[in-house]
Amino acid sequence: MAERFEIGFHPFVIPFLAGMVFVLGVCFIKAVIVVSQLDEGDRKKWFRSLIHPNILIKNLVDIILDCLIHVRLWKRNKVLGFMHSSIAFGWFMIILLGHLQVLIYFPEKLSTCYYPIFFDYFIEGGQYTVISKIMDGFLLLILAGIALAVVKRFWSRLFGMRRTTRPTLYNLIGLYSLWAIFPLRFLAEQCVRSGDLSVPLWWAYSIALCTFMTVLPFGRYLHIPAEMLLITFRNAGVGITQPHKGMARVQADSCPNCGVCIDACPMNADPANLKDSTVYLTRQLRRRNQERIREISDKCLLCGKCTSVCQVGVDGPKLRILSRAAKKYRISPDFSNAGAGITVPSAENKVLYFSGCMTSLTPKIGRSVESVLKKAGIDYEWMDRDGGLCCGRPLYTAGRLKEAAELAARNEKQILESGVRVLLVSCPICYREFRERYNLPGIRVVHYADYFCELMEQGLLRFEKSDTCYVFHDPCELGRGCGIYESPRRLISKAAAIAEAPKNRKESVCCGGSLGSLSLDFSRREKITAASLENLYRSRADAIATACPLCFATFARYSDRPVKDLAQIIDEQTKQI
Amino acid sequence: MKGNIVIIGGGIAGMEAAKSLISLGYSPIVVESSTKLGGHVASWYKLFPDMSSAKNLVSRLESEIKGATVLCGTKVISLNRLADGYSLKLSNGSVVNASALLIATGFTLFDAKKKEEYGYGVYDRVITNSDLEAWFSEKKDARVPDEPESVGFVHCVGSRDLKACNAQCSKVCCATAIKQAIEIKERFPYAKVYCFYMDLRLFGKKYEDFYINAQRDYGVQFIRGRVSEVGETLDGRLQIKAEDTLSGKPLKVQLDLLVLMSGIVRNQSIGELSAMAGLETDSDGFLRSIDNEYAVIESNRPGIFYAGACTGPKTVPETVAEARSAALAIHSYLETL
Amino acid sequence: MTDFGFTLSKSSTLDLQNVDRERFEQLCKLEKGASVCIGCGSCSATCPAGILSGMSVRKVVLAVQRGQDVRSMLQCCMLCGKCTMVCPRGINTRNLILSICSIYG
Repeated sequence: MAERFEIGFHPFVIPFLAGMVFVLGVCFIKAVIVVSQLDEGDRKKWFRSLIHPNILIKNLVDIILDCLIHVRLWKRNKVLGFMHSSIAFGWFMIILLGHLQVLIYFPEKLSTCYYPIFFDYFIEGGQYTVISKIMDGFLLLILAGIALAVVKRFWSRLFGMRRTTRPTLYNLIGLYSLWAIFPLRFLAEQCVRSGDLSVPLWWAYSIALCTFMTVLPFGRYLHIPAEMLLITFRNAGVGITQPHKGMARVQADSCPNCGVCIDACPMNADPANLKDSTVYLTRQLRRRNQERIREISDKCLLCGKCTSVCQVGVDGPKLRILSRAAKKYRISPDFSNAGAGITVPSAENKVLYFSGCMTSLTPKIGRSVESVLKKAGIDYEWMDRDGGLCCGRPLYTAGRLKEAAELAARNEKQILESGVRVLLVSCPICYREFRERYNLPGIRVVHYADYFCELMEQGLLRFEKSDTCYVFHDPCELGRGCGIYESPRRLISKAAAIAEAPKNRKESVCCGGSLGSLSLDFSRREKITAASLENLYRSRADAIATACPLCFATFARYSDRPVKDLAQIIDEQTKQI
Repeated sequence: MKGNIVIIGGGIAGMEAAKSLISLGYSPIVVESSTKLGGHVASWYKLFPDMSSAKNLVSRLESEIKGATVLCGTKVISLNRLADGYSLKLSNGSVVNASALLIATGFTLFDAKKKEEYGYGVYDRVITNSDLEAWFSEKKDARVPDEPESVGFVHCVGSRDLKACNAQCSKVCCATAIKQAIEIKERFPYAKVYCFYMDLRLFGKKYEDFYINAQRDYGVQFIRGRVSEVGETLDGRLQIKAEDTLSGKPLKVQLDLLVLMSGIVRNQSIGELSAMAGLETDSDGFLRSIDNEYAVIESNRPGIFYAGACTGPKTVPETVAEARSAALAIHSYLETL
Repeated sequence: MTDFGFTLSKSSTLDLQNVDRERFEQLCKLEKGASVCIGCGSCSATCPAGILSGMSVRKVVLAVQRGQDVRSMLQCCMLCGKCTMVCPRGINTRNLILSICSIYG
């Protein structure tokens, strides 16, 4: 023992050291590249955030909660949460405590950097301190996590996951070496005094560590360092501005390939779309496979469900929109004369109602909104009763960002000129665009769900409750897009009975009619709609309520029970005061 | 039980088949789910192209099938295959055994409310072809104005339309629209009447004459363009949008009445029956014949035959001809047993 | 030569045999729906840009089929998707328009 301790070195530490140097080097270079790719302003913001105490604390807390404890995963799936946090947190604690142990007992050895990793070999398991007992506890915790991981790998359904990603070769090597590390360490520690087996086991342990660290930058495990960078970017307010660089690259690298988005994706009602979930987008972004990136980006409905369930917060829709924006078109729109023939009524001190393009194909919605406004005695003008300009969101989601901004500017000018203070919108697509991308100083943009809720509270609407039971379908752009979940439910429960579908609110299933998809044609959307309806039918409600002209038209086409827009329900169940 | 024939459906197909079978010496049982015989034709006012009365046709057929057992308001609850025929349980509680079955369940008229953009059920002045036929016979419908200045007909509502989940042509609407346009013109000679069409399909005998009449003698205007939106002006008139594809310009016009030519879609109750009897359905949702050239009236099950619109949109003469040939086919089939 | 008092101008006949179908075939590969248009005009009628600029998806599809230049015909398109909603043949008109924008130039 004394001999080992004196020398303090054995050749088996070399693979570990090589792997360590390699992985740190590569991650550093990658981080430098990504930071250099950021826009000038974003980069400054990021540097400043690193010295800002509040953001610094937030970064630390987020890293501990997200990367080590996996709080978000816990919320979604307890077993998966336990599995991930036992490995991540356990490993982190072993490293931390290992260093602490060396620091306390042999501070002079700390500089060797491998010493804490192979500690038991060098001291030949001699001293059982409190720390090493705690470390053994964490190692057992990790082994439990690994055991769960093995089960999950082969029977993922036990974990409530219907589909997971098919791993690539690098990921498999990484996975198996990760599984090997801890049992090997455990065995090596147990055999440390029994002679013959000890050294080979330490070798195997070191090689497993080396393998894992060598493949880390090339597979899914890159998410471990990338997510930390992503958290600092996010807390600094860095956004995705380029299709495959900067923040987009960090997000792609942060994807742990867990595959939660595969089961969440509404498109996967049709097996033909299985390979088009966000997890595959990030994989192709890493591989820089432009053809597949384009295909995946164009197909997506942009419903945003993948983002709402994502453990690391990969913004699937935004990544896709920017990938779309990378495409060059030879014909560019010219909106210099757009809206020239449209007159917007002067609406000073009135509510200006903007119904949007789609609502002219679902006249019931516009008429119902109008009728409710009349009943409540609101003075209003209908901006686009006889047609108007598009809000620009379809152009924006198609990746034609400049053109969308041009159109928005046209609309902004008209709305500002009308002198209005409140802009009422019935289409969630327009509503989101107005909120996120318009500059309308002094004007309140409000969706009718919120607005009617206020009218109800002010006592301007007199409800007569009906017996019909409605299930409310949260439209993607209204719910996940704008965070409006409560107002529609409050209104419906005042007007009728309400039931909930198993998947609702943040997890609502896109109706399949979304304008977000560029390449899915009509016939390939039917299965998506059927799956969405199936979810609503499970509520056992008599009728379906929604608050989006596209959802309304799409459901009405296939539903076996009545479909109504929220405005229509309110109109039917209120009386003139 | 030999010689027992059950006809499911008491529209003109079922009635005509019953009549032919009676004349061949059988006494068929007609099972009709609604309370009266005649199906869709019974609620029609006049038939094209000769403008004969639909009600006369139905009442004549009714008097001619006295030899049959007619069960109105009765549905087939279950259907079992026997060694030499079928056993049917009916909603009136009785069980009937039959050597041969004739399916004559007809069609369902497309629910125009599903084409929300046309505003049926939203605007007061939008009606369907069947609403207009009812108005012709009864003159009671508040939606039809007393003196309309202009009336529009929209062809292909819910037919030839993937968005309405019906890709097939309904066959009869073009001629029906022209017939109804002429009838409107006869009642309101000063009204402007427009027909909005994608393609005019006037394939039957004398249909083309009918078309020429409408153009020349009645001044009906034919616009080649599918209506895409219906709105309402502040004074309550309808405003429709279409493209005048022949001049290549967007078109709008104000109307006092809009008639939607609801198309023929598969009978909504056919699903249960086909499941009970093991009958195949075609890609268009209608029942699948052995083939669509030579054996339209034959099903994939022995002893089960088809007549009329259960296999696809049919005109009245086609339905009647099929009913007669089905009666003859049943006769030949029973001879072989 | 006898002077008949008029000059021969270029024939206005559409010479169908010599129509350049290359772009149309290219388009059909990108958007299969391009080949099933029946020219009903629903898309043009509902188009919010059409009322103001005369833009017509129906005309564009026809022009591509006839080998004509369509570059100036799509400049007012806002991609709002109303045409996709009303098309009875279920053509993905937005993809059609984007495909045309990418192949002409």
